[in-house]
Amino acid sequence: MAVPTDPSRDAAEGDRSVDSPAVPAVEVDGLTKVFKGGLGKRRFTAVRDLSLRVEPGEVYGLIGPNGCGKSTTMKAILGLLTPTEGRTSIFGRSSKEVASRQAVGFLPENPYFYKHLNGLETLVFYGQLCGLSGAALKARAMDLLKMTGLEDAADRRGGGFSKGMLQRLGLAQALVHEPRLLVLDEPTAGVDPIGSRKIRDLILEFRERGITVLVTSHLLEQLQEVCDRIGIMAHGKMVREGRLSDLIAVEDQTELIIENASDAMLEELKAVIAKGAASGARLIRAGNPRTTLERLFLEASEKANADEGKGVES
Amino acid sequence: MKLKRIVQAALVLLFLGVAKVPLEERVTERLRAENLLSPPLTLEVRENVGQMSFAAALGGLRSLVASIVYLEAYTAFENSEWAKVDSLFQLITRLQPRMVSYWEQAAAHMAYDAAAYYLKSEEIEPAVRGRLFQEHVDRGIAFLEEGLTYLPDSARLWARLGDVYKYRVKSPKKAAEAYWKAFECGRQPFLQRATAYELSVLPDEEDQRRAYELLKIRYGEGDRYPTVIAKIKQFEEKFGVPLAVRIPEAMPQRSDADPGMNAGPNVDVEGR
Amino acid sequence: MKGSYARFSLRRILALASATLTQLIRMRILVFLLIFSAIVVGVGFVFPLPTPEQQLKLLKDVSFGALQFFSVAMAVVATALLLPRDLEDRTLYTILAKPVPRHEYLLGKLLGLLALIGGGLIVMDLILCGVLYVRQEMVFQEFIAALRSEGLETPESTAEVRLMVDQQGLSWTLHAGVFAVFLKAAVISSLALMISTFASSTLFTVVCTFCAVIIGHGQQLAREFFFHRHLDGIWEKAASTVFAILAPDLQMFDIVDNVINGEAVPSGAMLSMTGMGAMYVVGYLIVAHLLFVEKEL
Repeated sequence: MAVPTDPSRDAAEGDRSVDSPAVPAVEVDGLTKVFKGGLGKRRFTAVRDLSLRVEPGEVYGLIGPNGCGKSTTMKAILGLLTPTEGRTSIFGRSSKEVASRQAVGFLPENPYFYKHLNGLETLVFYGQLCGLSGAALKARAMDLLKMTGLEDAADRRGGGFSKGMLQRLGLAQALVHEPRLLVLDEPTAGVDPIGSRKIRDLILEFRERGITVLVTSHLLEQLQEVCDRIGIMAHGKMVREGRLSDLIAVEDQTELIIENASDAMLEELKAVIAKGAASGARLIRAGNPRTTLERLFLEASEKANADEGKGVES
Repeated sequence: MKLKRIVQAALVLLFLGVAKVPLEERVTERLRAENLLSPPLTLEVRENVGQMSFAAALGGLRSLVASIVYLEAYTAFENSEWAKVDSLFQLITRLQPRMVSYWEQAAAHMAYDAAAYYLKSEEIEPAVRGRLFQEHVDRGIAFLEEGLTYLPDSARLWARLGDVYKYRVKSPKKAAEAYWKAFECGRQPFLQRATAYELSVLPDEEDQRRAYELLKIRYGEGDRYPTVIAKIKQFEEKFGVPLAVRIPEAMPQRSDADPGMNAGPNVDVEGR
Repeated sequence: MKGSYARFSLRRILALASATLTQLIRMRILVFLLIFSAIVVGVGFVFPLPTPEQQLKLLKDVSFGALQFFSVAMAVVATALLLPRDLEDRTLYTILAKPVPRHEYLLGKLLGLLALIGGGLIVMDLILCGVLYVRQEMVFQEFIAALRSEGLETPESTAEVRLMVDQQGLSWTLHAGVFAVFLKAAVISSLALMISTFASSTLFTVVCTFCAVIIGHGQQLAREFFFHRHLDGIWEKAASTVFAILAPDLQMFDIVDNVINGEAVPSGAMLSMTGMGAMYVVGYLIVAHLLFVEKEL
């Protein structure tokens, strides 16, 4: 699935980072956010001295339990709220500057759009907010609707969109101005496995095209497939951060997946492992690997679609 | 929300508030001088019109409230509730003091409708009828005079005053003065004629000569009504005007339906 | 295709204004215009009143009453819905996550609303003028026929009736009255927008704004007390000072009552009212921006 784009990607006006590869896509430095309580409410520290860095072109996953400060961090990065201490920047530009948002596309959690605007009008509206206009904007909006599978809903008003459709529309509006950074807050929440798979494929495509992605999700297995680096937050602090492969590798275990192995071959392998018992190696588990429920669903759906296609032909 | 911003906002509001008050005064005075804003409503109006209507009147709906009260007054007129008609028209004219027709109608209801009602009422003793008649005619005059304090240049109100003096008070002198004022304000030919007619019946020769001059002016402007011609012929005889200067027409036959007799299009022979 | 960021962009403001206008129109505001038309036609032709002046006056009174009701209701309720609803629905996040300065967001919203109110007033003005013109001619002919039947029809009487009917009939000053109604609505809208930047909900905004509108219609009285009459009590003095300073003088725009009566509206008066209206709108927008610019979303 291709993301429609203009081949001549000029740099955003006034962007300082173009010729400077060292400039991170997102930089959070010592971010602290304290919400002052109103009458009868106590002060609440949502984020404490948080620092993170997202390099250009990588997919960074920010995970943590509910209330750990992920959304607050995202909002601070997007300039939707002001840090109590610390600073955040996008491609070297402070988040406080409105211009910094020219390079960002944001998909909020449970996105909601104006009920009275149809799909096409919504994308044109957001495109205009980013400085786009005219027939080119309309064409781009149609392409994005096609990409997200919403072309039939182009003239349907937002009030008639399902949750999944709203999510896809949200992704389309985040992409309308070809941002260099995508911030996705729970992009697959409420989306069926097929839609979810599509979104994850898109994220991988973004990475291939050099678009930086900052994503949060509770669906950890999905993040595992797409992220390069992960930051884990808890109680407003970063508790672990690093490359995904490094974080989740069980260093002292090795996995071999063999196809069409005979029983004899398996016995030989077990014997080899037994010989290495002196060095501490041992066989933990042997058996058929399990597919995931999601993969099973996808395969079944694809087969059903294929069968239906054949039925139509005959 | 940052305290600094709240303080800034409060300061801007305060500065705006203090700066605007003298400007508001000046603009309000200017608009009142140009008769675009009515004087403030009094508490008396509030008591008479009810809270909802007072609120509506405060909210820029005075004209509508006046129209609604007018409907009530018209119903009272149909039911011959003259005291109620009087009080409601007082209220209406307070709400819209620059509406000529309200003063006009208030005066008409008092000086003609109410006065005639009491004069003809067989339930009332004859001695009292005359007094009530006069009181209501005076009430009509009072409405017109009050209206003229707000609208001193209203030809219509001066003309209606003239009508009341002519048909109700039977004072040609006062009627002539009122019609002349009306003519000065409106410059309508029939008002000049009406002045001349009233002056023509006065005993004083100076008044009669003035009537003659006005009638000649009207004649010169093209008025050929039978009454104009008849009165000119009368004065030509009385003052011994040389034949060469007299108007060529002969004395006309008098007609009861001569529209030239009346002060204007709104009145019939009884002055209504 | 990539856009570029400009510090000030009329296109962004107009995009927001257009979306706001579309939103309000698709909320079936036009139904009100139909109801208005029915009222105007009904009042114009159904109510028999004794004099032609009263007939025409009642038509104008009811029409302008509906105009004022529409504009004030829109100004309060529609404005109160804009920002709080965007915040509640989190549409505001997606908008402000784009390169949109917050003051442009406020400007765009207000402009869209004023476009709706202005457009609605223009349509209602045209309807009123059409009905008034037709009724004016009918009333004139009826009166002349009555004079004719009593043998009182003369050129002079016809001219007088024409004058009387024309004074209460269609005139250019009626449009000035409609513009004054629009100015008042603009002030109320900007006031509502300002309140909505710190209000906790739509209902709170509506209630506060209605209170401010009521106080605004009594602000002249407060000024009257402060400047021209003696107030003995310190609390009375303090209260009248506070109202005179804080509340806008909404009665200043109530020239409709006298415009209905045929009073001319000099251009100087229009400029003064427009200047005051602009001052209120700009002032309240500045305050709204100060309260909104660092509002936590």
